Amino acid sequence: MKIILQNIWRVLLRELKMMFARPLYLFASVGVMLLSTFFFLTLMKGGAAEKMPMAVVDLDQTTISRRLIHEMQATPSVDIQLITNSYPEARQAMQNGKIYGIFVIREGFYRDLVSFKRPQIDFYVTNAYTVGGNTTYKQMLTMANLVSGAFQREVLRKKGLTDDVIMHRIQPLAIEGHMVANPWGNYSIYLVSTILPGILGLICLMLTIFAIGFELKARTSHAWLRAAGGNYTIAMIGKLIPYTLIYLILGIGCHLILYRFVGFPVYGSTGRLMFGLLLFILAMEALGITMIGLLPTLRDALSIGALYSMLGFSLSGFTYPQMAMLPPVKALSYLEPLRHYYLIYVNEALMAAPVENSLPNALALTAFMLASLCVAPRLHRALVYWNYPLK
Amino acid sequence: MSEYKYPIVKSFVTELQRIFRDPGVVVIFIVATLAYPLIYKALYWNEQINDVPVAVVDLSNSPESRAFLHQWNASPDIRLTHSCTSMAEAEQLLRNQKVHGIIYFPHDFERQLADPLGKAHISLYCDMSSFLYMKAIYLSCNQVMLESMRNIQIDRYEQMGMDKEFAWALVQDAPYSETALFTPTGGYGSFLIPAVLMLILHQTLLFGICMLGGTAREENDENYSFASLIGRAGACFLIYFGLAAILLGFFPRLFGIPHIGAIDDILLLIVPYLLAIIFFSLCVSVFIRNRESGLVLLISTSLIFLFMAGISWPKEMIPAAWRYLSYFIPYTWGAHAFIHINSMGASLLHTNGFAASAATEWIALWILAAFYFIMASGLFYIRKKRVLENK
Repeated sequence: MKIILQNIWRVLLRELKMMFARPLYLFASVGVMLLSTFFFLTLMKGGAAEKMPMAVVDLDQTTISRRLIHEMQATPSVDIQLITNSYPEARQAMQNGKIYGIFVIREGFYRDLVSFKRPQIDFYVTNAYTVGGNTTYKQMLTMANLVSGAFQREVLRKKGLTDDVIMHRIQPLAIEGHMVANPWGNYSIYLVSTILPGILGLICLMLTIFAIGFELKARTSHAWLRAAGGNYTIAMIGKLIPYTLIYLILGIGCHLILYRFVGFPVYGSTGRLMFGLLLFILAMEALGITMIGLLPTLRDALSIGALYSMLGFSLSGFTYPQMAMLPPVKALSYLEPLRHYYLIYVNEALMAAPVENSLPNALALTAFMLASLCVAPRLHRALVYWNYPLK
Repeated sequence: MSEYKYPIVKSFVTELQRIFRDPGVVVIFIVATLAYPLIYKALYWNEQINDVPVAVVDLSNSPESRAFLHQWNASPDIRLTHSCTSMAEAEQLLRNQKVHGIIYFPHDFERQLADPLGKAHISLYCDMSSFLYMKAIYLSCNQVMLESMRNIQIDRYEQMGMDKEFAWALVQDAPYSETALFTPTGGYGSFLIPAVLMLILHQTLLFGICMLGGTAREENDENYSFASLIGRAGACFLIYFGLAAILLGFFPRLFGIPHIGAIDDILLLIVPYLLAIIFFSLCVSVFIRNRESGLVLLISTSLIFLFMAGISWPKEMIPAAWRYLSYFIPYTWGAHAFIHINSMGASLLHTNGFAASAATEWIALWILAAFYFIMASGLFYIRKKRVLENK
């Protein structure tokens, strides 16, 4: 037992020396994670799209069209940056990416309105920019309905009704929207909660491949095994301890920043959510071992690792839901650890679901760890015989 | 090697040989560049998210609420899958992710509608684990609500003694028409894939050039002459011009992604975009010591560049510091220019009353290309002196 510990200690010391000799290790883990956390937390200001630029084509140019523009400008979600009497001008501004929506008030709008000729309002949005387009669309839709309401109010007032009575006639039905677990509709909470753990997972995967693969590439794996007394398990444990510690500390730090410091909501158990994150980190590390085990050429394993983990961001289904994916793609999504972490996050942070809902995902993450044991014989042979293309 | 009269031609040919003899670079430059778009297209195959499951809690159990539900269920966006007797039951379904939304009619729904002064409420609960659920549920429900409301308004005006035609005209006093310009399907893939195509070109070039630079440095085969800079850039440009033409010109047409831009405009855009990326990547590659370290260090820039460019998150909502930084990344200008030309019909050569000019981004790309060309020349010069000193 003492010899085992001594060997692990020897491998660990060797690893620490290598780690501090090359700036890459710390920079690619701690540096990249700090930078990404800072970037994504400062990127989205309040997390709600406000003052989205739009245009109004005012062909009517009457008091009522100007009042309409004025009222629209007063809303928080849009900012009228262009008032013009030329539709092509507004359309060109949209093609230049300067505005996301165009609201057209036709010529004779006021005249037709008061003479009950039902003048039409037209509005146009772009879907080429989805958040900007949606926000502007919602505001223009609301505005178009308000126009109708405001006019009805005028007519009813002339008929001698009080405002209170009028309001109920104009608005007899209303929807109260509730955004479950993210009542502010905060885009930042939604996005960062999955993207930052995803980046951490990406780091774990790539760096694990690199740390093991570089021994193979530089043909130092014999020295590594010698330090471990020729024992593969000891060699792996000693090598991975420092990295695993770094990843786990980064994971805990990321969790504390998001849920304690910044205060993203957790409606279930923070402890279980953090446990899920740690499982995810270990699963990504294990996936790294599996990849370098299957493809002992460093470059191949890294290329595949990069491809695989980048796809995880889409396949996890946090932006484009899994239910909309084609069946084979859906099946593939279960092979991404990030998908399982995302589901644990939804269960714990958003839905406060019973723990058994997260259990299959926790087991799946554990399965990634066990799978890495299957490549042990192959990886061991590679460490000993260098039986792979070098470049 | 003396058969080449000019050193530029020599380094151009050498670089082409190095690229094609290096399976790692071929995988990144050619295989990844061509495979990634196909994978993303498969991932976002269904543009729309349909039939989002919704639970119903109808405590009023009235003909009015049933009519509302019937009408809503007809919309392709959602499907009413569960009928619950209590909110608790529906919440349970939401928590277990069996449904992604709940619609709730209170007891007094029918009474409030029947009362000429009443106001009826519907509560709508949306799962925020993906913003696309909310969009599908909320927008389609809102549409049905507006239609039902008009009918109720007409009934109430008739009760007040207005004649039916007048009531109808009053309610429909300003009808509206909404149009999604340029990308009528408004799907997620139509929005994201053009941006992803540009990102693939950007990142594969960056990783590939860093791999070439790192390999040369590992093998002590570095050449930092000015001729080498031009020759290397030329070789990458030659390969990528073909790839970019396939990705940006051919791919959207083949797979039904929006493509209303003119081909000659797109080819014209490719030139400064590639030059800017190539010189930018050559600058970065000077700092890369190993063949693989570029990929490990820079993989997460793919997400950072994507978000910093202001495509998924509107550029107007990005803090000034990040926005200014983004101006130095070729992707920012390239992606917006491509979306403007390809998805919204802006142009470089065919500007007229209908097509706006994408010249701003195009010129910015040329400025970046020139800037990074000068930077790369400087860095190469410094590095050349350093290499000579070491020898």
